[in-house]
Amino acid sequence: MMSLLTEGLANALQWQVLLVIIIGLLIGISIGSLPGLTSTMGVALILPVTFGMEAVSGILLLVGVYFGSVYGGSLTAILINTPGTPASAATALDGFALAKRGLANKALTVSTIASTIGGLLSVIVLILVAPQLANFALKFSAPESFALALFGLSIVSSISGKSMSKGLIAGLIGLLIATIGLDPIGGFPRFTFDSMDLMTGVNFIPVMIGLFAASEAFHSMENLFSSRQVAMKVEKIKLKWQEFKMLIGTMLRSSGIGTFIGMIPGAGADISAFVAYNEAKRFSKNKEEFGKGALKGVAAPEAANNSVTGGAMIPLLTLGIPGDAVTAVLLGALMVQGLQPGPMLFETNGPIVYTLFVGMLLANVFMLFIGLAGIRLFTKVLLIPKAVLIPMIIVLCVVGSYSLGNNYFDVVVMFVAGVIGYFLKKFEFPASPIILGLILGPMMESNFRRSLVMSEGDISIFFTRPITVVLLTIAIITLFTPIFKAVLQNKRNGKGELL
Amino acid sequence: MKNSMKKFLGLFIVSTLIFVLAACSTKESSGNTDNSGDKDYPSKPVTLIVPAAAGGGTDTTARALVASAEKFLGKSIGVVNKTGGSGSVGMTEGANAKPDGYTVSMVFVELTMFEHLGLSPLTHNDFKPIALINLDPAALTVPADAPYDTVEEFIAYAKENPGLKIGNAGTGSIWHIAAEIVGAEAGIELNHVPFEGAAPAVTALVGGHVDAVTVSPAEVKTQLDAGNLKTLAVMSDERSNIIPDVPTFSEAGLEVSNIGTWRGLTVPKDTPDDIVATLEAAFMKAAEQEEFTSFMENSGLGIQLKSSNEFQQFMDENYELFGKMIKDLDLH
Repeated sequence: MMSLLTEGLANALQWQVLLVIIIGLLIGISIGSLPGLTSTMGVALILPVTFGMEAVSGILLLVGVYFGSVYGGSLTAILINTPGTPASAATALDGFALAKRGLANKALTVSTIASTIGGLLSVIVLILVAPQLANFALKFSAPESFALALFGLSIVSSISGKSMSKGLIAGLIGLLIATIGLDPIGGFPRFTFDSMDLMTGVNFIPVMIGLFAASEAFHSMENLFSSRQVAMKVEKIKLKWQEFKMLIGTMLRSSGIGTFIGMIPGAGADISAFVAYNEAKRFSKNKEEFGKGALKGVAAPEAANNSVTGGAMIPLLTLGIPGDAVTAVLLGALMVQGLQPGPMLFETNGPIVYTLFVGMLLANVFMLFIGLAGIRLFTKVLLIPKAVLIPMIIVLCVVGSYSLGNNYFDVVVMFVAGVIGYFLKKFEFPASPIILGLILGPMMESNFRRSLVMSEGDISIFFTRPITVVLLTIAIITLFTPIFKAVLQNKRNGKGELL
Repeated sequence: MKNSMKKFLGLFIVSTLIFVLAACSTKESSGNTDNSGDKDYPSKPVTLIVPAAAGGGTDTTARALVASAEKFLGKSIGVVNKTGGSGSVGMTEGANAKPDGYTVSMVFVELTMFEHLGLSPLTHNDFKPIALINLDPAALTVPADAPYDTVEEFIAYAKENPGLKIGNAGTGSIWHIAAEIVGAEAGIELNHVPFEGAAPAVTALVGGHVDAVTVSPAEVKTQLDAGNLKTLAVMSDERSNIIPDVPTFSEAGLEVSNIGTWRGLTVPKDTPDDIVATLEAAFMKAAEQEEFTSFMENSGLGIQLKSSNEFQQFMDENYELFGKMIKDLDLH
């Protein structure tokens, strides 16, 4: 393998290849940071360009776009509380809180380093143990996916902010919106009111853009002409070595979570970021810092969502199985280049595969330099006066939600979500649980019902499979621990109030 | 220094926004200007509505075809993805576009099923066909280590073990109907497991969580080549050129209707015939080009060309067939 790696390194270290990676990253970061333009769309739009290219350059261009877009989503999440991609919704929680305190520089540095570490580690796992892990990923069937989704939902309790009941209500709103559309198993229309637009349900990306970005813009408009308007400041406080050392454990754990979730078919960067955030909080000594600007709250989701990239490549390259929409597009790209993913790929095209591996490592390293060099430029966004920034954000919201499917209905959904988000903010309801419910609701429902179709109605399918049992147990513990703690606390303090 | 930086940044952002807006507006504007230019059609860029997400099989087929068709049409062709309603949103917009030949729609098999399934009143009669480009039959595929190698053995095994799990791409999808037909014709009891599309169903088959799938050869090709799966038969008159060793169902001794997915191009139904003829000539020629055929072959997609008239007849037949099947299978 070493000889193949050195050969790959020699092949990758050509200026054309390096240039292609950098171009891919720059395109990816721009696409990722624009709300509404997802990683999948970025890769799909660049795909036709690669048809005429050499296999290695073509694939690495797409890899660059993919990696860059996952990272790019965090920039706008931190700076203007607008997750560029769903994968960065968790980053916005603490990232924007840091930016509000003038620590945007530090938050972006942490996000860039965490993204790079997550990406690098996942590619290393991909190189070393991909075939062994891939067979494990195949064990994931409907009951396991249901248990994973339920585990993801149990995280609601840790992203609820001040009031857990408000968080749970928000999560339920998300689940309810997720029931709109054709039911995933029977194909029966629910809450569609004979509208064709509602047939496939409410797309969660315009909802996310509305809840985060549009509502934030509406909120800022309130203070636009008031005299007590304070400009955002950007302090030149750098990340200290001491602080970085505190984050290493979180980044490693989150990279593991991200790689693992990435290789499971049907679960991707968005879920991994929330799970990693939750675990970072679970292991942290200062839990109350989360949500108010904890560096770990930025490092965890960013390491996790970037490590999904390498994880998702594991079943793709070793088995030819795309776990999510992005890797499905990459599968098409590989096939057009005459590279048939699967066990034979490593034997028939070993040198190309290892060149791709080296290219992926380089892409992550370049991302670090581009990210760190760009921070000074990125933070300038905060110096733009609100009166100029707000209209721009609203334009971006409209363009972003329209470009998803070139469908005006998505723009309407975005505005409705924006108005609802504005009032949620007024009444201190957190927005992230709604997103969590919207992402995980369909995954949970369809896999629950699919499991029962498979078992012909026998509920024991959820208790007889080891992975399912483990995940369900963790889910129950995660959901109820904070509630138990609150009950105990109240008893000790002699207060009667629950939650 | 600081001021110039701000100006630069402002300029950068504004120009980016203008670019983005311009990119969106060109897509939109091409359907609604003057009507008089029939004689020198096409005098401006043509829009192709693809009612599926960017990056999928329908989208990549459309983009590869467009790349090859532009030189025969003499104008550029912009692809616009309009998703939603299993394709009905994009197709409805295509049907309602101005019938001037500047808005072309990609349509697929679901167009002849929407009305029967009660999903949308839209049918193929809202369009005038240009050409059929691609056709992929349903193929009964099982794990490579399954204890049956032929359709006959599969049926015998299924009779002994009722309730074999057969994965499909969603209730009411073309692959679900294919599986129902196999079950009905063979007189076997199958447990139909719906997935969100063909790819997750194939993944479940590779993982051993279902016993068979009835999706197209293109969707299982990777796994066939890797030796994880084997296809027992295809639901068409002729063998598939992607897996020529696999027999058709009738060769295997089971008469079933031909079921498959297809993709073709259409314009709104009031479009003048000479414009349809121009488009037909350009796209038919484009589909024969080496760059397009090799793309389709690498992707495992089957090419099936039908002219405007043949395509109309083909859709009529499909519409009747699915109407009857969906009623018989009680999927409505």
